[in-house]
Amino acid sequence: MPEHNGIGAYAVHLPAYALAGNALDGAEPRPGGPVRGVAAYDEDTVTMAVEALREITAEPPSGGRLLLATTSAPYDGKTSAGIVHEALGLDTGVAAADLHGHRSGATALDLLVHAGAAVALGDVRTTRPGAPDELAQGDAAAGFVPGTAAAVLLARAGRTAEVLDRWRLPGERHDRVWDERFTSGILVEAGWAAARRALADAGLDAADHVAVASSNPRAAAALRRDLGGSGADAEIERLTGYTGTAHPGLLLAAALDTAAPGETVLLLSAAEGADAFVFRAGDGVRSARGGRPVREQLADREVLGYGRYLHWRGLLDVQGPARPAAPSPAAPPMHRRAGWKYRLEGGRCDACGGVTTPPSRACAVCGVTADAAAPGKVSLRDRGATVVSVTRDRLTTMPEAEVAIVVADFDDDGTGGGRLSAYATDVRPEAVHVGMRMRPTFRRLWTTDGIHNHFWKLRPWEGHDQ
Amino acid sequence: MAHDVAIVAMGCTPFRDHWNSSADDLLVDAVTECMAALPALSLDDVDAFWVGTQGTGLSGQVLARPLRLSGKPVTRVENYCATGSESFRNAVFGVASGAYDVVMATGVEKLKDSSQSGLSAVLPPADGTDVDWTAPAGFSLLDPAYREAHGVGERDMRSALTHVAVKNHANGALNERAQFRRPVTAAAVENAPRIAGGLGVLDCSGVSDGAAAAVIVRAEDAHRYTDRPVFLRGMSFIAGSGAGLATGGYDFTTFPEVVTAARQAYAQAGVTDPATQISLAEVHDCFTPTEVVLMEDLGFSERGKAWRDILDGRYDLGGALPVNTDGGLKSFGHPVGATGLRMMFECFTQLRGEAGERQVPDARLAVAQNLGGQPGSSVAFVAVLGSEL
Repeated sequence: MPEHNGIGAYAVHLPAYALAGNALDGAEPRPGGPVRGVAAYDEDTVTMAVEALREITAEPPSGGRLLLATTSAPYDGKTSAGIVHEALGLDTGVAAADLHGHRSGATALDLLVHAGAAVALGDVRTTRPGAPDELAQGDAAAGFVPGTAAAVLLARAGRTAEVLDRWRLPGERHDRVWDERFTSGILVEAGWAAARRALADAGLDAADHVAVASSNPRAAAALRRDLGGSGADAEIERLTGYTGTAHPGLLLAAALDTAAPGETVLLLSAAEGADAFVFRAGDGVRSARGGRPVREQLADREVLGYGRYLHWRGLLDVQGPARPAAPSPAAPPMHRRAGWKYRLEGGRCDACGGVTTPPSRACAVCGVTADAAAPGKVSLRDRGATVVSVTRDRLTTMPEAEVAIVVADFDDDGTGGGRLSAYATDVRPEAVHVGMRMRPTFRRLWTTDGIHNHFWKLRPWEGHDQ
Repeated sequence: MAHDVAIVAMGCTPFRDHWNSSADDLLVDAVTECMAALPALSLDDVDAFWVGTQGTGLSGQVLARPLRLSGKPVTRVENYCATGSESFRNAVFGVASGAYDVVMATGVEKLKDSSQSGLSAVLPPADGTDVDWTAPAGFSLLDPAYREAHGVGERDMRSALTHVAVKNHANGALNERAQFRRPVTAAAVENAPRIAGGLGVLDCSGVSDGAAAAVIVRAEDAHRYTDRPVFLRGMSFIAGSGAGLATGGYDFTTFPEVVTAARQAYAQAGVTDPATQISLAEVHDCFTPTEVVLMEDLGFSERGKAWRDILDGRYDLGGALPVNTDGGLKSFGHPVGATGLRMMFECFTQLRGEAGERQVPDARLAVAQNLGGQPGSSVAFVAVLGSEL
């Protein structure tokens, strides 16, 4: 399978928020201390995976696979990758499956290069408030599609080590952790062996770029030192936290952001054993990235207060308004309107060209009724939109004091416009104004009666038109 | 229509927190008051009944059970916040068509038995893609859009919104049936806790319980029942297509459904210049910006000028065209199924010269305007009522 021995394109989604302090007494964070990325209250593994992969799956292949690796799937039992698949509009012939467990991020990368799978690695990490590693865990997603433009795999080696390192019983929210001084020895041994094997198989003594991701920070530090890395991976980790299954993908993407064509990258993931990959950056590495570089996304984040973080995560039970929970969606209409709900596809009228949102049989512009079997679809998810009017809901059922809600008109690029009433996100409500430019982003609106309600919100356009 | 019609009697409960009354009690009270004005008539003489309610009950039995009506046709109707008007409209058609001689329209809503804020509604299963707006959030969209479209400064618009609230509460303070009977100051309006967008608590109508009822007969028969009937001169109802939220073009500075309904009702009533011919108007002041926009949609103010006319006092009780003389939704709250009929009740009272301290001198033509839904996707009712046919 030589056509599948590398990475065709990659993208990372880092949430717009960062937590720098977790002092319950309000003490200021230690300067230069660890910072963690925080998924917004409306993000989960699925939405972050969609945000990463949407940048690089413009023309999904038929056949093949989509794999989602995570330790924080929004559902037990139900496959999360299926939601990602639907939102990306992949061919129904593309299989969608989840991989679970801390090692699954590396496993997904293995299946990317060996089986030609499109993969998303995403995790939302929480600890008990005040846990020693609270700021050392973080949220992120990375996406990769097969090919050779970004990187070619030179060698791969793995070791399996069954050890009680990080674990969580079904239904529990936070990992339990064994004394890392014990587990680090096992992970370092496995990691070192895997890395040496992979480098040897690649015919190398060392790589130009080294990225070590480990569920055990002591092991990560030792392996980075022993493998002669530059420390760039550790620097990023101090800004994101260990992002679980996403972490090897995040660090690999960060390395590819800076690697010149032909340079080698050693990626080592040490979790429940070890997985080592040696890549050579492809000739197209400079243009293989979707979305913004890791460093740029990190620089753009808003610092979040600890109380707000705890509220978002449901770790503080805060009194909300005297308002019923938002209604849960129902399976048949979700299925019937999947094009709208998951891909933001409007109806385009054959008679007048107008776009109706949500799509309906009769055009909202001219009233002509369309054939139910042939709805005119136009994808709106990658278009810019301009705010027509805006309000701030201060009785919101979301874990915020207020959220902005906008009505926005999509750009008319010759295929009609379209209008969306939507929640604004990743923006202070008071900053949203008439005329503001925004773009759709896939989010989780709310969860009622055990049903997650995923749909599109709008976020400010800036930073995404590059 | 085959026949002109007239209202010969009305009843209206106080609108407030009726902790000790059920919806049944409220309907009985409203109907009892209404029938008391017609001593020669009993419920047995009423040929057909309509009851409007959004969420208080299902079927015509909402009215048939509390009144123990026997062998009567009773129809329950619903049209969002225009439900009370819809009850009236359909009852009117019962007489105007010649099907019945005497009919009754009623409306009721019991909102305060829930501990939730605002209005509640039960919606069918859906795909979850609709914004879960609060009503104030949906209507507050009018504010920034209006300012943007007409170049009105934030301070000027705020003053106009405040004036609407102060005016309507001042009127409500004169009305023993109102939920809120204390005037409010501009400072109180502007310092009230914010609810949605620029709207504070006192920019919003209250939540109350209430019921109202009307007896409708052919105009030619009206004087058999009362010496001061009120005649329906024109009436229109429009259910919007919702295009304002489903495609571009709608700019949140108007209710197109109201504009159409007003045009049709005025045409029927022979009103050519509403700004000068209408004596008073009851309009749907669910939120203060709604009333601003409605002044233009009803043809009372020029486009972009309503905020100025409001500040000039044109719509005050002593102004050229008093609006919401009874206190409006701001003072009465909004028991959905009853509101439209409550508006009719004030028009009925004013046109009969029975409004006491609130009486508009020489009131001859009154407009009752009622709407539901939200800007961009609303339903709208407009009626013109007259002291003469």
